[in-house]
Amino acid sequence: MQVVKKYSETELVMLLRQRSGDVFEYLYDNYAGALHSIILNIVKEEQQASDVLQDVFVKIWKQIGNYDSSKGRLFTWMLNIARNSAIDLVRSRHFQNSQQTLELSEEVYNGGSTEGLNTDHIGLRKIVHQLKEEQRVLIELAYFQGYTQDEIAKLTALPLGTVKTRIRAGLIQLRQMIKI
Amino acid sequence: MDIREYIESGAIESYVLGLADAQEAAELELLSRQHPEIRDAIDAFEASLESHALAHAVPPPAGVKEKLIGELKDGFVVTDVITTAPVISVNRRTRYIAAAAVILLVVSAGLNIYFYNQFRDTRNQYQALLIQKNSLLAENNVMQARSLNMYEGMQMMSDPAVRKVSMSGAGTGVKERENNLATVFWDSKTKDVYLLGNKLPQAPAGKQYQLWAIVNGKPVDAGMMGDCQGLCRMKNITAASAFAITLEKAGGVAQPTLSELQVIGKV
Repeated sequence: MQVVKKYSETELVMLLRQRSGDVFEYLYDNYAGALHSIILNIVKEEQQASDVLQDVFVKIWKQIGNYDSSKGRLFTWMLNIARNSAIDLVRSRHFQNSQQTLELSEEVYNGGSTEGLNTDHIGLRKIVHQLKEEQRVLIELAYFQGYTQDEIAKLTALPLGTVKTRIRAGLIQLRQMIKI
Repeated sequence: MDIREYIESGAIESYVLGLADAQEAAELELLSRQHPEIRDAIDAFEASLESHALAHAVPPPAGVKEKLIGELKDGFVVTDVITTAPVISVNRRTRYIAAAAVILLVVSAGLNIYFYNQFRDTRNQYQALLIQKNSLLAENNVMQARSLNMYEGMQMMSDPAVRKVSMSGAGTGVKERENNLATVFWDSKTKDVYLLGNKLPQAPAGKQYQLWAIVNGKPVDAGMMGDCQGLCRMKNITAASAFAITLEKAGGVAQPTLSELQVIGKV
């Protein structure tokens, strides 16, 4: 979806803070698809992804006052809300199922989804799938499943330094690949 | 620290994607404030992440937007976008640069005014000094000429062939002129005559002092005492028994006006 921009980021933030309904709709029209894509990468189940997306836009609407433009772009801020919300949902789901560690590990090493939609072939996850195995597994755990680097070191029995180095090397690759 | 190396370390991507721990994030935020290259690299990665996400968006199912609006519309305010003050789209860096540019401009303008004033004062002082220097130089030239005249005068006076004839006002019979004094230096070889007005009142406007040589009892014109400084060179006189000065109309007369006799002295 190619978007023709009407507002600058500064305008968007300012008008959202002024509680503009029109601008909120504009934000949804332009960014919902991009955020939906990352949520699908993590949640995989479409109905749940829609719920998360709705939740994410409510958070954006309520928390826009907390956005600090000196720390990064509006999209980066929204992307992080989407990612965190999706990971939270997956974790609570897995917690309910009481099979957190087992199922996560299976997903990672099988490299596929156990549910209806294969969301590995969309958005950022498609890029991550093209990385070397040793980098892919660690970035999957870190970015799409929300494990800290410490936790990953324990999970994989790799030294923390190695985990950091491989993740960073993978991200440099990722940076090259998403450059248009 | 090697900035280039840091930018290529993956630390920036890790930070933007939310994978950095608190310590790594704090380090990067500090570095990004110190190094614009790092700030630029962060901006660039964020921008390409956004472009990539927008280009690979997955449209959400219909109905989500309506549910959202239904949930939030009580908080919506109608903002008339057209009347909103136009916001020029600038990113943070451009804003800092613009602010810095404005500050620099103001500072520079202030300095310009300050330096211009300094320059003007200095120029005025320089011109005053130049004028002072020229007038000193002119005065110096005058003094040199006067000094040379005096030297020549001394040379002349100390020459044994020169006779000194003192003329006083005592012989005029007029009380106001009794203190008058003038001296003639007469070179017996060259017959040159010099006159020094030791004590003579300033000649009134239109009048000049005229020197006379008394030759065989008759007055012979020996010239006018002009504007000369110190010694005045007069006409040559071959022989004389006395010298006298009268006050005459400017330019002189053929016969002295005896009532205007100022000084007289025998050779």
